[in-house]
Amino acid sequence: MKLVRLISCSMLICAAIACKHNEAEYHSLKEKIDEESKSYHDPGISSEAFLGDVNTIEITEGGHSFLIPERKSQMQSYACSECHNRPLGQMQQKGKSKRAHWDIELNHANSNAMNCATCHNGDNMDETLSLTGNPIDFNRSYLLCAQCHNSQFEDWKGGAHGKNIGGWAQPRAAMTCINCHNPHQPQIASKWPVRFNSHMEEERK
Amino acid sequence: MEANKKWYQLDLGLGNKKTSQTTCGCGKSSGGCGSTKEDSRQATQSISAAEFDAAVEQEIMGDTAVAQTQKDGFQQVFDVKMDRRTAFRKLTASLLVGAGAVHTSCSITTSGEAKEKAQIDWEEQFKGNYKLMTQEEKQATVDRLVRSYQLRKKKNIKMTATDASKDVLFGYAFNISKCQGYMNCVSACVEENNQDRNSEMQYIRIHEMKDGQGFKFNEADDNYYHEVPAEGHFYMGTQCFHCDNPPCVNVCPVEATWREEDGLVVIDYDWCIGCRYCMAACPYDGRRFNWSKPEVPEEEVNKNQHYLGNRLRKKGVMEKCTFCVQRSRSGRDPACVEACPTGARIFGNLLDPNSTIRWVLENKQVFRLKEDLGTEPKFWYFMD
Repeated sequence: MKLVRLISCSMLICAAIACKHNEAEYHSLKEKIDEESKSYHDPGISSEAFLGDVNTIEITEGGHSFLIPERKSQMQSYACSECHNRPLGQMQQKGKSKRAHWDIELNHANSNAMNCATCHNGDNMDETLSLTGNPIDFNRSYLLCAQCHNSQFEDWKGGAHGKNIGGWAQPRAAMTCINCHNPHQPQIASKWPVRFNSHMEEERK
Repeated sequence: MEANKKWYQLDLGLGNKKTSQTTCGCGKSSGGCGSTKEDSRQATQSISAAEFDAAVEQEIMGDTAVAQTQKDGFQQVFDVKMDRRTAFRKLTASLLVGAGAVHTSCSITTSGEAKEKAQIDWEEQFKGNYKLMTQEEKQATVDRLVRSYQLRKKKNIKMTATDASKDVLFGYAFNISKCQGYMNCVSACVEENNQDRNSEMQYIRIHEMKDGQGFKFNEADDNYYHEVPAEGHFYMGTQCFHCDNPPCVNVCPVEATWREEDGLVVIDYDWCIGCRYCMAACPYDGRRFNWSKPEVPEEEVNKNQHYLGNRLRKKGVMEKCTFCVQRSRSGRDPACVEACPTGARIFGNLLDPNSTIRWVLENKQVFRLKEDLGTEPKFWYFMD
């Protein structure tokens, strides 16, 4: 009897030890991530080589620092003041048929909320304007968008909106608003998928 | 397991006795039905796997069972006792390689290149499981594969055997509100990973689903061809989710698939026997099988390869998404992430508290597919 009690006692202890998962140390992936990232050290992997030939500038917004593509050097005829050397009012001529920027059509919000002057400054075309009239550099045009599209701005800073460039490691680089959305027509048009699997179609007939 | 053992034995579960039983089958928690005594005797008599193997060899199975210990290379195959059928099978398989090797190496007319080819084939035929290889052995097999390609196709490929880095655990997030169903990811994946062009294999599937009805995979269309996004539909992609508790790994009888330290679930294509148990075990349709010889036009072959990733496969083996191991381990985004024009795909290091993937997990409403299975996929879905 004594032996039986001893053995069952030792089995209870065994069971108590075995209660902890035998292969995994953690009960869930979340717990594991939380625990293991406490002692996180940079693994020393860099994504710099994968940025390609994109010129970037570093920005810091809401505690997030990352790179975005530089804009001004990519604009075809920046600086705008090379043509716009007088205030816009003086350059506009009624009745003349040929107009510059004839191909730009504004299809963004409605005309009550927006027109060209909501963002552009007719007196200084080299910079854009905030709603309160403060100048905003073309390289930081995301600040213009962020005035209305606040939730998208929050997601973009964190990394949930907007496309990552190059790699997942440091330095972080992301597309800025105007790299995907045309600011004058920000809606993205529908298109055809790039592929169709004819084999799968045959198989399922 | 012995340090230099290069293969796995089928574990019948006889070596590891359960010692954690507290209640017996009769339902009583304390002793008294008689079976507890039996159990405890078994527990005290537990033997190690090695002892069991030896005992099995000597007594039960006679000369059919094989206890292989501390052997390497050709010894693994030849220096063992086996029954006639196994012997014939092994011999015919090896003879094909061997005959070629002997023929070319003994012949005075064959060139040095042919001899080298035969030598490589021989060594590849008898190499061990990648998972158990030392760093030198990994490099050796990679070098052989590169040389073999060079000899056969007269082209150079770059193949790596980069191991997982410490402090890295790969994770993926997919924004359902952003995906528009363009399928750029699918195309990029096929090209990056040298998938069979004949059978149009694709690791990624994009499912077109009706708005407001939740995920109904049986009603979804994953092979649409019309202008997208279609009115009243949303799109979501599936691929291998690199489960942290992968059911596919547990069922592999030869341990040809496993979970790496950085969370990637990978396959040794040279160790896979093509039984497709893993395909059946995967609850997410993440695995693909090569029913025919995979073919990729020479000019389209992606020559930046990894042993566990996009190197060229053969007929009769499994393959699947590896989060582009050849890219991700060097810090680059997987091909699908890079190709996605909408930014719906987010990839990163789950252990880095400042990574974008962590921000998504902590600030968006994320969920995973079939979470209740306990497979712990490292692939989250979220909406804006």
